[in-house]
Amino acid sequence: MSTLEIKDLHVSVETKEGRKQILKGATLTVHSGETHAIMGPNGSGKSTLAYTLAGHPKYEVDSGQALLDGHDLLKMTPDERAKAGLFLAMQYPVEVPGVSMTNFLRTAKTEVDGKAPAIRQWTKDLNDAMKRLRMDSKFARRSVNEGFSGGEKKRAEVLQLELLKPKFAILDETDSGLDVDALRIVSEGVNRAKENTGMGVLMVTHYTRILKYIKPDIVHVFADGRFVKTGGPELADTLEETGYDQYLPEGANSESALA
Amino acid sequence: MSQKSEVTIPHADPKDPYAFPATMPSSADKEPRSFDPDDFPMPTRKQDDWRFTPIDRMEEFFTVFQPSGLTKVSVSMIDGSEPPADQVSFSRIPMDQAPCGTVLKPSDRAAAVEWASGKQATVVNLRGTLDQPVLVRVDGGGPELDAFHLVIKAEAGTKADLVVEHQGQARLAEGVEIDIGDNSQMSTTFIQEWDKGSKHVGNHRIHLGAEASLRHSVVSLGGDVVRLRMDQDFGGEQGDLNMLGIYFVDPGQHMEHRTMVVHNHPNCKSRVVYKGALDGIGAHTTWVGNALIQPTAPGTDSYELNRNLVLTPGAIADSEPNLEIENGDIIGAGHASSVGRFDDEELFYLQSRGIPEQEARKLVVRGFFGELVEEIDVPSVSGHLMGVIDRRLAAGEDQEMQHVLEEN
Repeated sequence: MSTLEIKDLHVSVETKEGRKQILKGATLTVHSGETHAIMGPNGSGKSTLAYTLAGHPKYEVDSGQALLDGHDLLKMTPDERAKAGLFLAMQYPVEVPGVSMTNFLRTAKTEVDGKAPAIRQWTKDLNDAMKRLRMDSKFARRSVNEGFSGGEKKRAEVLQLELLKPKFAILDETDSGLDVDALRIVSEGVNRAKENTGMGVLMVTHYTRILKYIKPDIVHVFADGRFVKTGGPELADTLEETGYDQYLPEGANSESALA
Repeated sequence: MSQKSEVTIPHADPKDPYAFPATMPSSADKEPRSFDPDDFPMPTRKQDDWRFTPIDRMEEFFTVFQPSGLTKVSVSMIDGSEPPADQVSFSRIPMDQAPCGTVLKPSDRAAAVEWASGKQATVVNLRGTLDQPVLVRVDGGGPELDAFHLVIKAEAGTKADLVVEHQGQARLAEGVEIDIGDNSQMSTTFIQEWDKGSKHVGNHRIHLGAEASLRHSVVSLGGDVVRLRMDQDFGGEQGDLNMLGIYFVDPGQHMEHRTMVVHNHPNCKSRVVYKGALDGIGAHTTWVGNALIQPTAPGTDSYELNRNLVLTPGAIADSEPNLEIENGDIIGAGHASSVGRFDDEELFYLQSRGIPEQEARKLVVRGFFGELVEEIDVPSVSGHLMGVIDRRLAAGEDQEMQHVLEEN
């Protein structure tokens, strides 16, 4: 049983107009086996929260804590966080030319586990996982994310999630840009990973569409840099009808997106 | 507004390609061609050929010297076995004896000094079809200045691969003549894995026969100052030249590669692709790619490309392609050049999957070079090269640590 605790997190970024605060006291606790949906308007800071937890250098933590089983994530480099059991499925996975998926996946697996996987078992696990995600086997020979379609990139993210077996997975708008079939395949992959490892899931999304496939236990509304409301799955349905306007501060523009 | 008038296009005299329109041999390359060092002025940074070069770090290569003779050479097949005597012959001959000095002439003062200083040359003669690469191993003779002259001669119709490995500590002036006979299919690969403190100044002179193909690869991964200049011409139609280069430079190192491709016969093809990675403050690379398409070379197809990957700030990459086209009737002549920074987003992505920063950089550099090495379709050569690159990347980790220690 693992716990991810986010305590009163304040985070800023440097912009052309100067330093801008984006997270303004975010607090959340997630346990193994739980699925949390984090919903909110554009620019509310959802992605900032995701990237801050993963350790992207662009985001500067002003105050607050993020603990994984009591260990201070914010003091760790991004690779140390991954080794501690955190995984971020990115909205825009980065292309790495010249590095083959096979080589990348094996290197990542070796680093995360602290030892090289047994080659025969690894090859089998990789092939099985790719088959389940309906990925062509020649995928593995291509460069990381290079020339992948939007849907292929998301499948590749979930493939890594399944292989690396983290304690907590943050899915940053994994549903965006997917057609119905791809959404189902990707969601099945996430559910499978959860079933196999009992990981906790933080699912960042705008839409309720993905919640049909990945059932959240808890739904949060995130607005203006903090969690403003928490409820059960029924909260998502309410949001679908009423939108986010009631959660925005007076005069705020939900499209003033930075994050 | 259309105006019809007869346009007079000046025609060059095909028997005298240098007479018009260009002066000898190219406006990008005004140096003479001569075996006599005194035909070249003492290099200064004001001369085009030397403006990127740290001349004060290689002054000893500009005056005729007494070579130490300590450089060691051995020839074997790449698996260590004896070469077949009927196909590979290896001899040492005086420099004034053919085939020495038969492939072009020195194109700068350092090359002429090497010629004038050397006493003996190593000649490797190849014929027939060889089923595995020939390995020429050159072990540096230490800090004393030496001259080394290598002649590689492939008889007509040869199909072979040759790898020249430079290792150890050296201060070496090197001249290489490569004479590829008609209808041959050859690859020559030159690897520089010099120890710290080494200097290497070389000139490759290449003649490619009619309907012959040559893949000429240069891989420079070690040495404080490495400056290699490649001159080439064709001996007839349908020659196919493929030049490939890889360099990886650490702080304080200067590596310079200059290619001069001359299209002097019709319907020949040339490709020059050089890629380099630079790591740290004061790491310096220079690539100058000259291509000259003479009036005698209609149907030429030529392209040159240079890519530089700057891994950490403070490195300097000079990249200069020069194209001179004196014939309108060609298939193509193009060039591209870039200097790019290692992408922070790539680094974050790899790190977020548990891969530490150092390892992530190595993966990316390996991939950057790997794309190029893959193009060598001789597995024993490409495999060998990736092995050399991996060795260098592994060594880089220790050196990185050394820099940290030195800075503290």
